[in-house]
Amino acid sequence: MAIIERPSAPATVPAIPSASLGALKRPVTTQHGWRSWLFTVDHKKLGIMYGATALFFFVVGGLEAVLIRLQLALPDGRVLNADLYNQMFTMHATTMVFLFVMPMVSAFANYFIPLQVGARDVAFPRINAFGFWAFLFGGIFLNLAWFLGGAADGGWFMYAPNSGPVFSPSHGVDFWALGLQITGIASLTGAVNLIVTVLNMRAPGMSLMKMPVFTWMATVVQFLLLFAMPVITVALFLLMFQRNFGATFFDVAAGADPLLWQHLFWIFGHPEVYILILPSFGIISEVLPVFSRKPLFGYPFVVFSGAAIGFVGWGVWAHHMFASGLGPVSVAVFSVATMAIAVPTGVKVVNWTMTLWGGKLQFTVAMKFAIALIVLFTVGGLSGVTHAVAPSDTQQTDTYYIVAHFHYVLFGGAIFGIFSGMYYWWPKMFGKLLSERIGNWNFWLMAIGMNLTFGPMHILGLQGQPRRMYIWTEARAGEGFFNLAFWNLVASIGSIILAVGVLFFFINVLVTARRGAQAPLDPWDARSLEWMTSNPPKEHNFDSIPTVGHLDEFFHRKYAEDHQSGEIRKVQGAEEILAEMERNKDAHIHMPSPSYWPIVLALGLPVIAFGLIYSIPVAIVGGLIVVLGCFGWAIEPSTARDEDVDPPAAPSTEVVRHG
Amino acid sequence: MTSARPRPTAVNRLGSMRRRVLPALALVALAGCASNAPQDTWDPAGPNAQMIDDLQRPVFAVAGIVGLIVAAAVGWAIFRFRDRGQAIPKQTHGKPVLEITLTIIPALILAVIGVFTVRTVFDLSKTDDTEMVINVTGQQWWWEYDYPVQEEFGITQPIITSGQLVIPVGTKVMLRQTSRDVIHSYWIPRLNGKRDAVPGRVHLNRIEADEPGIYAGQCTEFCGLSHANMRMEAVALSKEDFAAWVAQQLAPYESPADGLAKEGEAVFLNQCVRCHQVNGLERADGSPAIAAPDENVVSGAAPNLSKLMSRNTFAGAMFDLLTPACRRDVWEASPADFGSKYLAGVSEDCLNQTDLRGWLRNAPEMKPMYANPALLAGTGGKYRGMPYLALTESDIEKLVAYLVTLK
Repeated sequence: MAIIERPSAPATVPAIPSASLGALKRPVTTQHGWRSWLFTVDHKKLGIMYGATALFFFVVGGLEAVLIRLQLALPDGRVLNADLYNQMFTMHATTMVFLFVMPMVSAFANYFIPLQVGARDVAFPRINAFGFWAFLFGGIFLNLAWFLGGAADGGWFMYAPNSGPVFSPSHGVDFWALGLQITGIASLTGAVNLIVTVLNMRAPGMSLMKMPVFTWMATVVQFLLLFAMPVITVALFLLMFQRNFGATFFDVAAGADPLLWQHLFWIFGHPEVYILILPSFGIISEVLPVFSRKPLFGYPFVVFSGAAIGFVGWGVWAHHMFASGLGPVSVAVFSVATMAIAVPTGVKVVNWTMTLWGGKLQFTVAMKFAIALIVLFTVGGLSGVTHAVAPSDTQQTDTYYIVAHFHYVLFGGAIFGIFSGMYYWWPKMFGKLLSERIGNWNFWLMAIGMNLTFGPMHILGLQGQPRRMYIWTEARAGEGFFNLAFWNLVASIGSIILAVGVLFFFINVLVTARRGAQAPLDPWDARSLEWMTSNPPKEHNFDSIPTVGHLDEFFHRKYAEDHQSGEIRKVQGAEEILAEMERNKDAHIHMPSPSYWPIVLALGLPVIAFGLIYSIPVAIVGGLIVVLGCFGWAIEPSTARDEDVDPPAAPSTEVVRHG
Repeated sequence: MTSARPRPTAVNRLGSMRRRVLPALALVALAGCASNAPQDTWDPAGPNAQMIDDLQRPVFAVAGIVGLIVAAAVGWAIFRFRDRGQAIPKQTHGKPVLEITLTIIPALILAVIGVFTVRTVFDLSKTDDTEMVINVTGQQWWWEYDYPVQEEFGITQPIITSGQLVIPVGTKVMLRQTSRDVIHSYWIPRLNGKRDAVPGRVHLNRIEADEPGIYAGQCTEFCGLSHANMRMEAVALSKEDFAAWVAQQLAPYESPADGLAKEGEAVFLNQCVRCHQVNGLERADGSPAIAAPDENVVSGAAPNLSKLMSRNTFAGAMFDLLTPACRRDVWEASPADFGSKYLAGVSEDCLNQTDLRGWLRNAPEMKPMYANPALLAGTGGKYRGMPYLALTESDIEKLVAYLVTLK
C-alpha cells in the first residue's frame, strides 16, 4: 500500500528496513531518462504510457480499417484476399476494443482518478505498473501472430466451432486467446487497484456524491471489469484447452453445444460495451459543464443512470443472439430488457442537453467533440432501439446496419469522448495547449469522415449487405438511390477523410510539442480537483491535500455567489489557491519508490504464452520468471537507500519514499 | 401481393397509423420504396417478413422523431446559448420533476414498443400450422436442401438438392436447420429474418412466399474463408409448377447414349463420384455409383448433382449456371411466366461455360476454400470444399458435355 496518509495524520516517519536485502535494491528515483519510465510506479507516468501505447494501437487498428474499406470500395475487391481480410476484420475489432479504447480509458483513469479524488497516487502503485506492462506485452504478443503464420481469423467474437483447430489451423487464434488472457490480467489488476483507490483514498470531505462524474463512471467501469473479465478468462481457457490440449468443450461430435461459447462471450461482451462507452460519458460530463459555465444538470441522475446501466448491462447479453435459436421466451425477455437499458441511457442525453441549456457556451475543440458525442451517440442509441426489437433484429443482425450502429456508439461515442478528453486534459498532462486551429481541422474532418463512413452503412445493411464478407457482388447490389455500389464507395471515401482527420491530431501533438504555447494554470476555468495543481502536476500531485466541501470544489473556491443579486463573482484565481496550498504544504509526503519487479513479472507472461503454443519447456521458463518476479516483488526493500541516490540524498529529504 | 394472410391486428393498427399520420417522413418513405437490392430488408414478399416489417416501420418512425427532437434541442442550445458575453449563468443543479418526466416518457414509448415486440416474437414462432417441411443443412460453403417424403406434394421419395431452395407459393414451409461443421445462418430477407444453423441442434425457421419468383439470400453467420460466397436463392413456384418440379426431380436417371457426354460420364465416374452423388448413376459393371464424401471432405458431404441443370446456380450459389442474359430473363420474368422459364432449366445455349469450366479447372482458385494447403495436415488429409483435380482440357470438355445432360 502506498500513500494513504492524510494531512491530519501525525507526522511520524514510517518504519523503513534499514538495509537492502542482498542484491535486491529499489531503483533510484529519477525524473528523466529511460529508467524513469521503465521502473516507474507513478500513476501519471503510467497514464501517459498507457495513452501513448493505446494511440499507437489506434493507428494500427485504423490502418486495418482503411484496408478493409479499400477492399470493399468496389465489387469483387482485390486489395486483400479472403484469408487476409478475415484476419484484418478480426484484428481491427480486437485492436480497437482491447488495445485502444480500453487502455485509453486506463490512461485517463490512471492519470486523473487520483487527481480528481485528491490522492497522491493509486492504492497499489507497483500493481499499477505491472498492469501497464502486462497490457503492453499482451498487445505486442497478439500482433506477433501477423509475422508467425497469420493473425486470428475468427472474428473478435471467435464463435465456436469456427475457432477450433480444424477450421482455423494457423496459430492466429492461439495468439489471440493467450494475448487477450494477458491483457485481461492487466484489466483485472487495474480494476482492483482503482476501486480501492476510489473507495479509500478520497480527499477529506469528498463523499461519493461529491466525486467528479468521470471518476464515478470510471469506477462503475472498474466494477464491470471486475466481474466481466473472469467470464472471458474462463472462455479463453476453454478455447485454449480445446485448441492446444485436445479438450472438447465446443466439439459437437463429443456432445458439446457451441452455444456455450456464445453465452460466455456475450456475458462478457455486453458489459464490455459499457466498459468502452461509460468513461467517455464521464469525460463529456466534465467537459460540458466547464464550457457551459454551469454545473452538470442533474448530477445524481447522471451518476445513478450510469450505475443503473452498469447493473442492467448484465441482463441483456442474449440480444446478440436473437438469431441463434434461443426460443421465443428468451428472445422476448432479452428484447424487453434491452429496451429497458435505453431509459437510463436516454437520461444521460437529456442531462447533457440540459447542461448546455441556459449556459454560456464556449466552443473549444474539446467542447465540439463533446457536443458531437451527444448527437452521434443518440443516432447510435436510436438504431440500437430498432434492433432491441427482436423481430427486426433478425433482419438487421450481422448486416452493415449493425456495423453502422456500433460505430456510431463506439466511434461517435467512445472515441469522440476520448478526443474531447485529450483536448481538455492535454494542458494538464503536458503543460501545453493543443492548437485549437489544427484541432478544428481535426474535429471537422473526423466528424465529416465518421458520418460519411458509417452513415451509409445504415443503408447498406437495410439493403441486405451482410458483415464480414471479403467481397460483395454487383449481382446483389440493386439499382437506384440505394444501390450498394454507390454507398460502399462513399463509405470508403469517408474512411480516408476520417483517417486524415485523425492524422491532424497527431500533427497537432507534434506541433504543440515543438512550439506550443505554455498553458496557463487554469486554461479552461475548470471546476474539479485535478486542476487545483500545477501543469503538469508535481510528482506528489498536491502540496497539501485539499479538504472538499462541494461537488465542483475548484469552481467554488474561485467563485462566490452574491446572495442578493444571484450574481456569480470571481473571488480568487487558481494562482492564489495554489499559492495557499503551497504555504500549507504537508510536512511529510510519502511517495512510492520505483521498482524493477513489475516489468520482470509481466515479461514472464508472454513467455509462458509462447511456450503453451510452441513448446512446454519454454512455458516453464516463463513460469520461473513469474515466480522470480513475485519473490523479488515481495522481498525488495520498501524504499531506495539514501546512499543509492546520486548525489546521495540528504536524510531530511521532504519527500519520503516507501513501498 | 395477396391480402388473405392473417396479420396481428394490433400491430396492423400501429402500422396503419403510420400510413395515415407519417407519410411525409422522408426516411421511411425513401427507404421503403422498391426496385432496390434483392436483399432489401424493407420489401417483404411473404407473411413472416411482413409481420417484421409492420413492426419495424413504426419503430423506425418513432426513433427518427426522437432523433430529430434531440438534434433540434442540441442545435437550438448551441445557437441560443453561445457565449455572447453574457454573465456567468446561475449555477442550477437540475430540476428533478423535469428529469423524472423525461425519464418516464421514453420509458412509456418503449413499453408500447415492447408489447408489440413480444406479440410479434410469439406470432413469428408459431409452428403448429406448418404445411411443408424441408431439412436445410449448412456446410462450408453451401446449403443442402433435403425434402422428406410428403405425399400431398407428390414427394414420394426424398429429394436432395442444393443451390436453390424450391418452394410452392402460399405454403407455410418449415425449414429444419442444422449444420455439419460451423455455425451458419439462413437468411432470405424478403421471406423472413435470419436463423442460425448450429451443429448439433435443429432450429426451426418458417418461410412463405406470396408470389412466384426468386428471392436472394446470404449466409449471415461468419463461417470462415468463403463466408462471402455462401449465397442462397429461394425459388417460389406456383403449386402446379412445384408439382412439375417435384416430378422432374424424381424422374429416373438417363445415361447419355453415346458421344462426348458418354465419355464425360466415364470421367465423372472416375473423378467426381468420390464425393458427388448422381442418383441412378451406375458403374460400367452395373453397380450403383455411391459417393463417399465423408472420406474426402472435412464436413462430410458434397452437393448432390442429380438434375444439376434444373438449378440456376452452382458452387454454393456463388456462380450462375446461366449466362447473364438468360439469368436476367428468369429473374425479371413476370410472376405468371416465371414458372415455365425456371422449369425449362439450363439449355446448352444458356450455359455459363466460363465459370463452369473455370471451376472444373481449378475450384480453389475461384472460391477460397483453404488458405494454405500445407495446413490440411490437421484435417487428416480431408478437403474443405472442392480440391484442385488436375483435369485435362479434354476431360473438362467431356465433363461439361455430360453435366449439361443432367436435367
